[in-house]
Amino acid sequence: MTVAVRRQDRAGYLFLLPWFGGTLFMIVPFFASLYLAFTDYDLLTPPRWAGLANFRTMLGDATLHQSLRVTLIYTLVSVPLSLAVALAVAMVLDRGVRGLAIYRSVYYLPSLLAGSVAIVMLWRYIFGYNGVVNGFLAWFGVQGPGWASDPRYALSTLILLHVWTFGSPMVIFLAGLRQIPAMYHEAAAVDGASSWRRFRSITLPLLSPIIFFNLVQSLIASFQTFTQGYVISNGSGGPGQSTLFYNLYLYQKGFAEFDMGYASSMAWLLLTVIAGFTAINFLAARWWVFYDN
Amino acid sequence: MNHLDSAAGLGRRQMFKLAGLAGLTAALPACGRGFGGGGGDSGKIEINMVWWGDAQRAELTQKSLDLFQTANPGVRVRTEYQDSSPYKDKLAARFAAGDPPDLMAMRFDSLREYTDRGTLLDLSAHAGRLDLSGLTPQAKALGQVGEKSYGVPSGLNTIGFVVDKTLTDRYGVAVPDGDRWSWDEYAAFAEQITKASRGKVYGSNFEPWTVANLLVFARQRGEDFFTADGRLGATAATVTAWFQLTVDLRARGGLPPAGFIDQNNGSSPAQSYLAKKSIASQIIPTNNLLGYNQACGGGLALLRIPGESQAKRRGQSVDTPALWSIAAKARHPQETLALLNFLINDAEAAKVAGATRGVPPNRTLAEQTAPALDPDSRRSAEFLTKLQGEQLPPSYPYPVGASKLTNILKVISTEVEFGRTSPADAGQQFITEARKAITT
Repeated sequence: MTVAVRRQDRAGYLFLLPWFGGTLFMIVPFFASLYLAFTDYDLLTPPRWAGLANFRTMLGDATLHQSLRVTLIYTLVSVPLSLAVALAVAMVLDRGVRGLAIYRSVYYLPSLLAGSVAIVMLWRYIFGYNGVVNGFLAWFGVQGPGWASDPRYALSTLILLHVWTFGSPMVIFLAGLRQIPAMYHEAAAVDGASSWRRFRSITLPLLSPIIFFNLVQSLIASFQTFTQGYVISNGSGGPGQSTLFYNLYLYQKGFAEFDMGYASSMAWLLLTVIAGFTAINFLAARWWVFYDN
Repeated sequence: MNHLDSAAGLGRRQMFKLAGLAGLTAALPACGRGFGGGGGDSGKIEINMVWWGDAQRAELTQKSLDLFQTANPGVRVRTEYQDSSPYKDKLAARFAAGDPPDLMAMRFDSLREYTDRGTLLDLSAHAGRLDLSGLTPQAKALGQVGEKSYGVPSGLNTIGFVVDKTLTDRYGVAVPDGDRWSWDEYAAFAEQITKASRGKVYGSNFEPWTVANLLVFARQRGEDFFTADGRLGATAATVTAWFQLTVDLRARGGLPPAGFIDQNNGSSPAQSYLAKKSIASQIIPTNNLLGYNQACGGGLALLRIPGESQAKRRGQSVDTPALWSIAAKARHPQETLALLNFLINDAEAAKVAGATRGVPPNRTLAEQTAPALDPDSRRSAEFLTKLQGEQLPPSYPYPVGASKLTNILKVISTEVEFGRTSPADAGQQFITEARKAITT
């Protein structure tokens, strides 16, 4: 018996080997970047120890503050908005629409496409100065702005793009909704509860662990936004600095401006910020997340 | 129990197979690399050459490389190319990884980022292999840092104004004399087109954030944008005047309204607003005349930058779209030098490559290849050859940090475009930020 168990253990560890190998590729850069965060490193010559200099520079770096502002606005607006849309669509689909699999795929599709070059072309076609939206506005005699080229609107346009990619939280919501026993709703309906009341008192509480999961996931992903900003603004964060996401600025610093030390320290600041927000999330969860069992 | 045991045994056997497979896949990429960069099977020496550009340029480049490989059967050239913006980032990453390419296209504004960190080969120390004697003095100076030479221009170009004659004809506006026109004439011309077309076509557009454009303007005002000792020589007054020019012209209708132009529209001629016929004139690098004229369906006239004959001194200069540089840690420096020598001094190589990188820096080859060029390339070649013969003030290499200026200028010009910053503040802001970028 013990021999067999030990052999099983050994097999288990052997199966885990690839994971250890993969983790090595995470751990080494992880600590390397921690070291680099305290150096002056231009990529071409060896890093030089700089102590806290990078972090001191951050305090006075207006561009860094702008990129934090952009990322915060983007996260605080787009995450609740996209979760609300995802939940709404999931609830509609949960009513037993015919061809659910097709709808699910169709709504999931944007999540796969966002950040691709094809989307940029499409987006320009729709939101450009002479695009579809402004063509529509022109019927009413209004000349709309360049929704992607005007620094006042560019970020909102990107938020819209993000909300449009509600596919993956939607699929998770859908799975969660399926698990709520129909008898609760039936019992409430018999007692005369309105559909809004049933949503408030049955669906939301029973779905709260799923909402919490989606919230944490989306928040972390949103702070790390890079591809959409890079592709839409061609890496510049423009127009102006209106779409300069934190990670985009980090990338510019590291690879375009030869300042990998600073970029590394920025990465650690981001890690701290994300950890902070996630911790707050978990603390707050005690008050509103309801576990059925 | 017995069942369990056998299951574990099976798992283990499968696992070993899997581990073997995993090891194999890990080893595969290593085969491609070979030892010391020699290309695996045939024992040939492999040179890695990287550059930026499009498919058309790739085809022309490959033609000259084929000639080289035929003449040097022991050498294989492995090329990689991509668009200019990702190219820049990738090149830096390759140097950081200790795996630099042997021969590379080097941005003129990044040269000193690399030379000052000792990453490029001093070409002047290898005169025996690389003959630079055929180059014009202006061409040679482009790759020079102090006494040493770290780059050879892949071709020569400059910037020019193109005007779409099909549009000027349609709206009955005369094309100004490109050798003599002033900035005022330019503004009047642009405004006229917009008015005559009732706003269907805007008279002009140019990128105020492109350093090469502002650089000419500063030189015309008697300032070296970058000085001989690598400082910023332009004044706030000049940058302010530059932005004032765009603000005034936009107010008069000569430039499209704020937000009309998408900065991130992409740089290819086919995507340009000129090709869409929504503007009638713009600044282009002269080696792209062929591409733009094709994209516009013909009819582009090539003019100088305005103000050249009224200014304190000449603003335009002979530039290069890209330098060729060799890594200090190139695996096969001798063969790479031979390849570079071939690219810039071989008559056949120059002929098949055409004008995709501008006029050959070797004067004899420039003259030899000119007659066989297509009409558009010949026009841009003549434009440049004429400029080379003129008395122009010297220009100096971009200092370390200069590659950051485009981004700085881009952010500020957007603020000006949307009226959120005045030209005066913009000028001051640019100087402050540019100085910081260059010294740090």
